[in-house]
Amino acid sequence: MATRSDTARSRTTLFGFDWLTVALVLGGVLCLYYLAPLVSLFLSVPPGEILARMTDSTVVDAATTSLLSASISATVATVFGLPLAYWLARSESRWTNAVLGVVVLPLVLPPTVGGIVLLTVFGPGAPIGKAAASAGVPLTRSLAGVVLAQTFVASPFVVVTAKAAFEGVDRTLEHASRSLGKGRWTTARNVTLPLAMPGIAAGVTLTFARAMGEFGATMMLSYYPRTMPVQIWVSFIELGLDNAYPIAILLLLISVAALAVLNTVAANPWQ
Amino acid sequence: MTLVVDEVYKSHGAFELGPIDLAVDEEVLSVLGPSGCGKTTLLSTIAGTVTPDAGTISLDGLDLTGRPPEKRGTVLVFQDGALFPHMTARENVAYAASSEGRVEELADALEIGDVLDQRADTLSGGERQRVALARSLAADPDALLLDEPLANLDAPIKRRLRDELRPLLASLDVPVVYVTHDQREATAIGDRLAVIADGELLQLDTPDEVFSHPATPFVASFTGSTNLFRGDVVEAGTGRALDWNGRRLDAAIGGATIGDTVRFCIRPEYVMLASDETRNSFNGAITRQVFEGDGYLLDVVPDGGDEAVRLALSPPAYERAGLDERDRVRIALPADAIHVIGEGGGRTHETPSLSE
Repeated sequence: MATRSDTARSRTTLFGFDWLTVALVLGGVLCLYYLAPLVSLFLSVPPGEILARMTDSTVVDAATTSLLSASISATVATVFGLPLAYWLARSESRWTNAVLGVVVLPLVLPPTVGGIVLLTVFGPGAPIGKAAASAGVPLTRSLAGVVLAQTFVASPFVVVTAKAAFEGVDRTLEHASRSLGKGRWTTARNVTLPLAMPGIAAGVTLTFARAMGEFGATMMLSYYPRTMPVQIWVSFIELGLDNAYPIAILLLLISVAALAVLNTVAANPWQ
Repeated sequence: MTLVVDEVYKSHGAFELGPIDLAVDEEVLSVLGPSGCGKTTLLSTIAGTVTPDAGTISLDGLDLTGRPPEKRGTVLVFQDGALFPHMTARENVAYAASSEGRVEELADALEIGDVLDQRADTLSGGERQRVALARSLAADPDALLLDEPLANLDAPIKRRLRDELRPLLASLDVPVVYVTHDQREATAIGDRLAVIADGELLQLDTPDEVFSHPATPFVASFTGSTNLFRGDVVEAGTGRALDWNGRRLDAAIGGATIGDTVRFCIRPEYVMLASDETRNSFNGAITRQVFEGDGYLLDVVPDGGDEAVRLALSPPAYERAGLDERDRVRIALPADAIHVIGEGGGRTHETPSLSE
């Protein structure tokens, strides 16, 4: 017995260190790699200067455009995405996998390619884009264009996360509700939705955060009005790195806030 | 109000249910069978959560077969209650209740007044089932379906709820189908008893009749008639007797004729300790004994035989006899307790072994 436990112990060590310690050190390096640049960003600009630049009209305009468009995008994605997520979770159709593939496609597609794809439909030369523009609702270089780009890239998050949340709701509870005389819609509203709510909230948060950071497709579809990521790019190209800092910090703070939401009211999808 | 299951058939992979015919009046029908026998599938076809491949379900003459679960008037009570965990017990009961007064009334009837304002996911198993029952009754069912509602409860709570359920279900005046794998529950609760194995309805009768006259060897063993033997008919007509491994047994042999080999069973409770003069008695040795709390089970192998006869003795009877393991005893199989059964059943059913 003694020899066996000795061999067992020797396997958990590396160069005399316990394996868990080794794991912690290796993981620690990665964590430092995440955190150090963030800290460095805050240190590279004096706090006073950041606060002063926050009231800059380009910063305020970009922040307004981003918050507004990301809110609209997250809403649109939720309105259309929740029914789809419910269908994906509950349907026994053999098409669910194919439909799920379509949903996930924008996630794996490079955003700039997404932008090009959208331009072929909504661009000023394409029929829909042309019609909309002549009706006074241009779909490029407009808030509508920003929302189209963000929704394309960010909406899969709410569909995929809400699908998992719906799947986590015990079907027996839905059977019970219907057996008590309640139809599909009443059952979904009173039983499935409330029980799936933390997961749905997580999906909406992820979609909002992704929409806030959307750059590639937005660049192609709607350079104006500038969202925060586009403004960072413009400031960096035209005026240099220093001028890109304030908006970057603002975006960073919004990301941290989204994380906070995921860890409180919403179900953290990674836990 | 009559619930009619007409030629209902459902297949799922290699498993087949039915075709099953049942008619349930305003009574409690217990459906008894081992797990995986199809009794839950049967219940689901009535409730509408499973669509049968063939056959119809009707209630009060109204065809329910194609209707969604919410438009059937059938209410299903689930094994673990299936309470909505994000609601309180009160909200659960009120979910389909016609009025707040009805909620209070049912809370009184099921003694859940104290826990009404607790969240459903904090309730104990027994409380959960009480709330689930109240919730299902609040929906004013035209037929009530229960799927092993007591299966996951501790023994004392189970027994108490079982005793309360019997009068409650009988007072509903609607068809009630009560599915269980527990023969005590099935007999205590049902006016009639349907035994199902491998998707096939083997017997449908009063609990008394099923227990005293099992239709097939499977029904006999599943309802506790664990002494199952084969014998040859040696006298028919007025005499009527079997030859069992060279021993003569007086017995009612039904329609069998001389020379037939038949199966017969006798419940362990009916096997007696006997004196020399008793009919159908013989000597044997105790090979095994088990104390089960409420009684003793003894396996006795008759001299010269190899099949053990099991007898059940109450503790006082056991003590009076002053028995010990390996003792020799004389036992009797009373003629009127011996029941001759057919081989029965189209499909083969595995018979539970005697050691169970």
